[in-house]
Amino acid sequence: MRKALIVMIAATAGSMLAQVSPTTSKSAGIRITTGPEIELAKEHLTIIRWTTNNPGGSPVHYGIVHYGRDPKDLSQTAKNPIRLNPDHPSTTFRVRMDDLAPRTTYYYTVESIEASGASDGVHSPVKRFITP
Amino acid sequence: MKRFLYILTIIGAAGTAGTLFVRLRAVSAQSTTSVQPAAVPTSTQPPGTTYNPYPTGILPSDLVSEILRVRNEVAGIEAEAIAQWQALTPPILTGQPPTLQGTGQRANVLLGKIMNFDENMSPFKNRACGFCHMPYAGFSGPIPSVNLTMIAYPGSDEFRAGKRTAQRYTYAPFFPVLNYNQEQALFFGGNFWDSRATGYLLGSPDAEQAQHPPVDTQEHALPDTACIAFRLQTAVYRPLFETVWGAGSLNITFPSNTEQICDTPGGATSLGTTSTPITLSAADRTTANNVFDHWGNSLDQYEASPDVSAFSSKYDAFNKGNYTLTSDEQAGMDLFNGKGNCNSCHVDGRGTTSTRLNPGFSPDHSKTASVTPKFTCFGSANEGLPLNPRDAFYYQTTPDAYGFVANSFGFGFRDLGMGTFLRSGPGAAPNPNSDWTQYAPGVDGQFQVSSARDAAMTPTQCPTTEAGTGQPYFQKEFFHNGYIKSLKQLVHFYNTRDKYFQAVTSGHCPSGTTEKVNCWPMPEVSNNIDMTTGDLELTDTEENQIVAFLQTLTDGFTTPYPDRTTFSGTCMSCTLATDPNCTPSTQGNGVLIPTPTLPPCASAICGVAPLPKPPIP
Repeated sequence: MRKALIVMIAATAGSMLAQVSPTTSKSAGIRITTGPEIELAKEHLTIIRWTTNNPGGSPVHYGIVHYGRDPKDLSQTAKNPIRLNPDHPSTTFRVRMDDLAPRTTYYYTVESIEASGASDGVHSPVKRFITP
Repeated sequence: MKRFLYILTIIGAAGTAGTLFVRLRAVSAQSTTSVQPAAVPTSTQPPGTTYNPYPTGILPSDLVSEILRVRNEVAGIEAEAIAQWQALTPPILTGQPPTLQGTGQRANVLLGKIMNFDENMSPFKNRACGFCHMPYAGFSGPIPSVNLTMIAYPGSDEFRAGKRTAQRYTYAPFFPVLNYNQEQALFFGGNFWDSRATGYLLGSPDAEQAQHPPVDTQEHALPDTACIAFRLQTAVYRPLFETVWGAGSLNITFPSNTEQICDTPGGATSLGTTSTPITLSAADRTTANNVFDHWGNSLDQYEASPDVSAFSSKYDAFNKGNYTLTSDEQAGMDLFNGKGNCNSCHVDGRGTTSTRLNPGFSPDHSKTASVTPKFTCFGSANEGLPLNPRDAFYYQTTPDAYGFVANSFGFGFRDLGMGTFLRSGPGAAPNPNSDWTQYAPGVDGQFQVSSARDAAMTPTQCPTTEAGTGQPYFQKEFFHNGYIKSLKQLVHFYNTRDKYFQAVTSGHCPSGTTEKVNCWPMPEVSNNIDMTTGDLELTDTEENQIVAFLQTLTDGFTTPYPDRTTFSGTCMSCTLATDPNCTPSTQGNGVLIPTPTLPPCASAICGVAPLPKPPIP
């Protein structure tokens, strides 16, 4: 009897794939509540993080950092995925950059997008940091 | 408990030692049935063809004896499965559409099991699927020393080896057909670490997964898919195959040189470049193709059955209200769903919370949404594992006795996972959907999010994967390249990958640091790294609690897990007084080797359009 139940569950698993993280509604007003700031600054690796209210939308979002040595030319881009928790009031994005020169001043701004590329409409002011 | 004696003839690895010695061991018979294992036949591999391009120390010293040990266990399970079939009341073919009423499903499951443990499905009749996927390891790698060192398992043509760890069968059948979700802009489904078994033809990634190893040059190495039908024609269980798939399903007229062809490992220059060296009529080729599909379907049914995917863990009992988690297990579950954020990928049907990233938000205690959660999102991710220089694949750069070269790139090989598959690149498989190729740069470095279920599965007599706990342990390997050697390390990696980053390769952590403790070497592929993890600020105790929770996901708590007791090897043990690596945190550090200076990524991998973005050095 027990085996039969398990087999039945196995056979119907195809209808149970809804456990993939559900999508939540896109937030109407997405804003940065903390940061952006330097989480980690080491030789060959810098991580920038910032927190927004939960943007909603697709479970996978991308944090994006636009950066460069000239505040008027932020033409370099770093981008990393992060998984949203639909029930959270906020979301922390973290982006890693591993191609930076040592002891150099960089300027940057951040934004976030859905996996589809749709912007969350958030852009930070231009900030700066110096690599070790 | 019955006991039996068997003789292991252990020959030092050819090319590395010529020592011949014989060891007599008394081993506890673990089989739950009275079936006696058949004697393991001698491999039919011709003398002098053994391939050993490896520097000293890459192959574990007990490799040959361990191969024989596992082959013996495989033979035992094969004998057991055949006995189970012979004891089965035959099903009755009836109805419209015709159905094998009564025991038809069990017959198909047993056919899959028998084929899974049939060594004849290899050129030298020495490798079954089960050789790399034994029940007591959650149907993953059964040789502790291989898990500790060379990572990939030696195939029929010893000692060719693949490039990745043997992925667990458990719950693999529940992955959907690989699809690109336009709304989510993400891939879901498929089988294998790189999702290359898509399910596009059979509708089951797991069934298609079962079709790859038999003709993988470094695994079973059959040179033609029709060799499966050829070997089935003379199998003792042919009547079972024909019961399940129909009388006449194996009626193929093979040419007289078929045995010679099927005895030659794939990739042999003597076979040329064709994938169908056996000359068959169009009708016979179609029949052989159908047999090959049936092979996959039956193995899939075995893996989907309670024999493999049992839903019988402590967690399942807890889900039903029949088990109370210990305080550590409960704390681990809260962390799994909370601060650790594990269930954002290893989905358990509950809500997710992350108090560190979301201060003030309490852990989620919502009710479970699924009574059979698979603990995977069926997606893929790049967790940023360092390159593992112990992987045997890097050293197979010279031709073997058959003229085959597994890896012409040497250390210029980079494992881009799903990215290489989408480009139909080296070591992957042809991508059957060219619409997907454009997405390759977005998945470079990504590997399948395996179910967390049965990650902690070990043989009954070796109750843990963790060294230094005071219990005998079974050495496993984790992630696609086996860099991680314990569940503690696995959780610690997620927790501190970025915090303890060092711009070095494995084996080169700075003085004063300890690799895997407070030094994590740079990722093999830096593109698309999942930043959900990497600096979770879990305490040491909290890491241990997550490990305790992971251990509740091991099947066999509510009912005995089939064939888990077949391990006839020796559990590992250590003492901290004599072994500084006798801790879950440093387990395996004694076999770390320095990564050589890496040449650039081979252009055949990293220079193929659409190019990785940013470029991979």
